[in-house]
Amino acid sequence: MGCEVISKERVGVINPMYDCQPAGAQYAGIGVKDCIPLVHGGQGCTMFVRLLFAQHFKENFDIASTSLHEDSAVFGGHQRIIDGVLTLARRYPELRVIPLITTCSTEIIGDDIEGNIGKANAALKKEFPGRKIHVVPVHTPSFKASQVGGYAECMQAIIKTICDHKVAPTGKLNVFPGWVNPGDVVLLKHYFKEMGVDATIFMDTEDFDSPMLPDKSIHTHGRTTVEDIKHASGAVASLALAKYEGGSSADYLKSEFEVPSHIVSTPYGIANTDAMLRKVSEITGKPIPDSLVKERGIALDALQDLAHMFFADKKVALFGHPDLVIGLAEFCLEVEMKPVLMLLGDDNSRYKKDPRILALKDKCNWDMEVVCNADLWELEKRALDKDYGIDLIMGHSKGRYVAIDANIPMVRVGFPTFDRAGLYRHPTMGYRGAMLLGETIANTLFTHMEYTKDREWLLNTW
Amino acid sequence: MPMVLLNCDKDIPEREKHIYLKVDGEDTRDFLPISNAPTIPGTLSERGCAFCGAKLVIGGVLKDTIQMVHGPIGCAYDTWHTKRYPSDNGHFQMKYVWSTDMKESHIVFGGDKRLEKAIHEAFDEMPHIKRMIVYTTCPTALIGDDVKAVVKRVMEARPDTDIFTCECPGFAGVSQSKGHHVLNIGWVNEKVGTVEPEVTSPYTINFIGDYNIQGDTQLLQQYWDKLGIQVIAHFTGNANYDDLRAMHRAQLNVVNCARSAGYIANELKKRYGIPRLDIDSWGFNYMAEGIRKVCAFFGIEEKGEALIAEEYAKWKPQLDWYKERLKGTKMAIWTGGPRLWHWTKSVEDDLGVQVVAMSSKFGHQEDFEKVIARGQSGTYYVDDGNELEFFEIIDLVKPDVIFTGPRVGELVKKLHIPYVNGHAYHNGPYMGFEGFVNLARDMYNAVHNPLLKLAATDIRGETTTRFLEAAE
Ligand code: SF4
Ligand code: SF4
Repeated sequence: MGCEVISKERVGVINPMYDCQPAGAQYAGIGVKDCIPLVHGGQGCTMFVRLLFAQHFKENFDIASTSLHEDSAVFGGHQRIIDGVLTLARRYPELRVIPLITTCSTEIIGDDIEGNIGKANAALKKEFPGRKIHVVPVHTPSFKASQVGGYAECMQAIIKTICDHKVAPTGKLNVFPGWVNPGDVVLLKHYFKEMGVDATIFMDTEDFDSPMLPDKSIHTHGRTTVEDIKHASGAVASLALAKYEGGSSADYLKSEFEVPSHIVSTPYGIANTDAMLRKVSEITGKPIPDSLVKERGIALDALQDLAHMFFADKKVALFGHPDLVIGLAEFCLEVEMKPVLMLLGDDNSRYKKDPRILALKDKCNWDMEVVCNADLWELEKRALDKDYGIDLIMGHSKGRYVAIDANIPMVRVGFPTFDRAGLYRHPTMGYRGAMLLGETIANTLFTHMEYTKDREWLLNTW
Repeated sequence: MPMVLLNCDKDIPEREKHIYLKVDGEDTRDFLPISNAPTIPGTLSERGCAFCGAKLVIGGVLKDTIQMVHGPIGCAYDTWHTKRYPSDNGHFQMKYVWSTDMKESHIVFGGDKRLEKAIHEAFDEMPHIKRMIVYTTCPTALIGDDVKAVVKRVMEARPDTDIFTCECPGFAGVSQSKGHHVLNIGWVNEKVGTVEPEVTSPYTINFIGDYNIQGDTQLLQQYWDKLGIQVIAHFTGNANYDDLRAMHRAQLNVVNCARSAGYIANELKKRYGIPRLDIDSWGFNYMAEGIRKVCAFFGIEEKGEALIAEEYAKWKPQLDWYKERLKGTKMAIWTGGPRLWHWTKSVEDDLGVQVVAMSSKFGHQEDFEKVIARGQSGTYYVDDGNELEFFEIIDLVKPDVIFTGPRVGELVKKLHIPYVNGHAYHNGPYMGFEGFVNLARDMYNAVHNPLLKLAATDIRGETTTRFLEAAE
């Protein structure tokens, strides 16, 4: 009994859980307003990532490529960087930020990114004297980290480049939620508003859920502005909700500008949300309002109907981003489910020492496996193993066929969730997120009971 | 002034050479858009990479084959779950992707050993699978791993396996097109002629350039069955690896997608003397013409006529129902390349639809020659169109529906223009007679979607809402 933390033994990957570093960097980049990331590499490294975002959000996001062709692969892609930056600047007059994201190939070729940005900046200054465009160097060769690391890297690079001096105190709170859905961003904003806390979300992706309007205007873009980023150095504190996705940026602002940094457990589930709100209250001195006590109560009230009646002892397999998977495992324990398998998709050596994982070990009196550097084949093998006995899979759409073929109910959560409608709109974080997640789990189990005629009569009365 | 410099392109004036507006009475050969040329960096082009042309489009369709992508994880992740090509064996090819997941040390010291290990592992994990294609990617091409040597070693160690190497890094060429070429030529060089098929019919063909999108291949297979024609190999829809090793034994190569697979047909002609017959499989007129040509080749014309008559009787009334309602619809096509010329005339003839703008990601000169010859005047023909150009052209031609990919589809949704998935289809198959009715239905449902009218309504304006009596 107890928890074992292991790593995948195979060297190769069958069905990856995460995309590459530049993909994560592109996701962070599109969260900035008036920003088009420019990916320095082959066209595939960009085109597919744009498609992936479109699949998940059912929206289009603008990301450019330097379109590395054979000649540049041989002679270097310097001119293509400068041409790319200038073409974007000329054709997009509102543009203020261009994260220049490297890929495996351009890192191998060894293109001098900083040097070329210097040249591009000089050219920009000459052609657009009154206009400041921040070209941000983002080094993200995929062979060093995954989309998780790439997200963190780009976030930090943007802050490093744009937030270049200590501004006067703003009284604001920097919040780094990590790679979450617009539904989570909306929920967090709501909490801060209820508490009377002036917070800036890095990145504010609320408008990744954008409307069809009578005037046909398009508002699908990040809302974090250059000013927001500049003012990060004057904040009262930084609050990172995702250690592996936002922690490094919070730490950077601390070491560079002495902005206190707080990295809390990702607020999935009731207790983690409690801890986050208490932390916000402690930092800002603002009390937790009655309205949130009520929201918490509604969530508890809903989950109480489900936990020991339907959820208890259900064996759950979880996969996805590390902060999400750990948070979901904690949520599972709250509702009496047993996380038996947690899959983390890259080889970040910090996972094995993560205090949250160590704490889980103490809490479980059943066999639990944490597999680092995992692929979805690790999931598939266990899902098909009747003795392993997984009752529920929680993870993103790339694992859909495991659930389909093993005939195990699956709840989509994380990124990407392209095979279910509208999930990006709903929070997973906070009380409301916990409630919605619990209800989705319940309804998924119920549907499965009906389709497999497994005690479907149970619901004849409830 | 048939070549057009759009306003959004004033800072990249070279784009003028890529955009053509057809005018009546012009000799179009004087005004072919430049194509298959390098992309201008930073233009938000739609193009993908050569690796994807090889893996995602052609090789990845094979239903019994491990697709080993030698490179860091992204190249594999990104070319998985982006296609709709089912198979009759449970969709093995859509469920899995394999990667050697290169790390920094392999970039520095070489990835050969890792590749070898990953190949063995893959076969060990799925012992019923004996076929594999190994692809290089930009990173592994740059570090110069000797993939062919590795593959040779593995095949010696595992005599019951067969592995094909496709060395086609993303940066090769200017678009996915280069990948089609590399895979075609590599395959005919190394694999064709290594398996003898069981020939069961006096009439044998290879059906080339059809990837079973939403079951296209399987639908057309019904026709071949009825005609008594044996398809030795489908290149590559719903196909097994070994089917394609036997391509040398067909009497005729019937080519649908000339762009992605014309190369192999030409090589088969050169090396084995198999004639090449190009047909279009989308549209009633075209499909009937294609069947007639194939049947004429074998001297089984009556069979062909019987099939066409049967299919017409079954599907033509439905097509006509849609034609009646789609007549005059303005359509834009923004896809890879060949579908421009496959579709422009068939939607015009069969459905009365007018194609007003077309953009190709990777078409070559002969694709533009074909599409401009088949297409209408007043229509824009664009090579490697980019996002701002799309906006401007939409403004100029005001299409009612756009056949394109899902991402661009999401973009034009905001402009209240419905899209139909021009790559993976909405509810296909779209080939053949039944398929074209599906296409017509999807177009009709797209254009007549009531939400579009609601989207255009500004509820702040004067009330025009009509209350139904019962609601008052
Ligand atoms: S690295 Fe090369 S092969 Fe891989 S996706 Fe990018 S362009 Fe394509
Ligand atoms: S080469 Fe690297 S950056 Fe490009 S797709 Fe492959 S893994 Fe991602």
